[in-house]
Amino acid sequence: MALIGNTGTVEAANPAFVSSAGMALEQLLGMEEADLDAHLSTLDLPRRRVEVSVDALRAVHYLCNSAVPKQDMRHLARVAEALREPLASIYGFTELLLTQNYDEPTRRDLTAMVLEQVEELGNLINERLDLTRQTDPPGSSA
Amino acid sequence: MKKLLIVDDQVNIRRMICLALRDHFSTVEADNADSAYTMILAEPPTGIVLDVMMPGSMNGFQLCQRIKSDPALRAIHVVLITACGQVADQELGRSLGADAYFVKPFSPLALVQHLTRSCC
Repeated sequence: MALIGNTGTVEAANPAFVSSAGMALEQLLGMEEADLDAHLSTLDLPRRRVEVSVDALRAVHYLCNSAVPKQDMRHLARVAEALREPLASIYGFTELLLTQNYDEPTRRDLTAMVLEQVEELGNLINERLDLTRQTDPPGSSA
Repeated sequence: MKKLLIVDDQVNIRRMICLALRDHFSTVEADNADSAYTMILAEPPTGIVLDVMMPGSMNGFQLCQRIKSDPALRAIHVVLITACGQVADQELGRSLGADAYFVKPFSPLALVQHLTRSCC
């Protein structure tokens, strides 16, 4: 990851990011975020930008350059998307329960929905683990 | 109260968004982009909260593009909500004219804050 400070430039980057970006740390440090973005867009790598509201930081850029083949990366992206759906309900309903004054029947109803989505999340994880075990039996990677 | 259209194939997500918005907006719902487009043409809302990946002939990106390329509709505030967290997806959303992009899981309170600032 690379950290963008309030000045809009790169303030820090970890070795994995430096290596994946194909640049020297010295080149990255102080680089304008727009220039970094332009450089990263030329790399055929999954990436993500997260805005942050910490005092001295504006954003964090993540770059993924593992040895995982592209097909597997696409599969991982699909898994992540599937997991985000129940997570969205869990996050959202929990936030509303914590911050809003609902009547008791509504609170119970929303809590039941959170529980239902936790079960859904567990089922999705178990399904994916089962698929992984079928294609990659225990001990086969050791 | 101004009207927002909530479009998502997941009933839980629609309910959560409607619940979060109920003190600020009136809401109508659609579970796919095709029905949403019919509703928009019949009575354009002030804004749309639009999921990207949905069953049907159109996804959220395509509906967003239709809205923003139509002079009669382009003033509608479009917020894309998606499980696609890649920067490339966000860039695509922006290039199609989306006004904001939230990645699941997202804060419904942040969504309310954004919409009250942009649509009220």
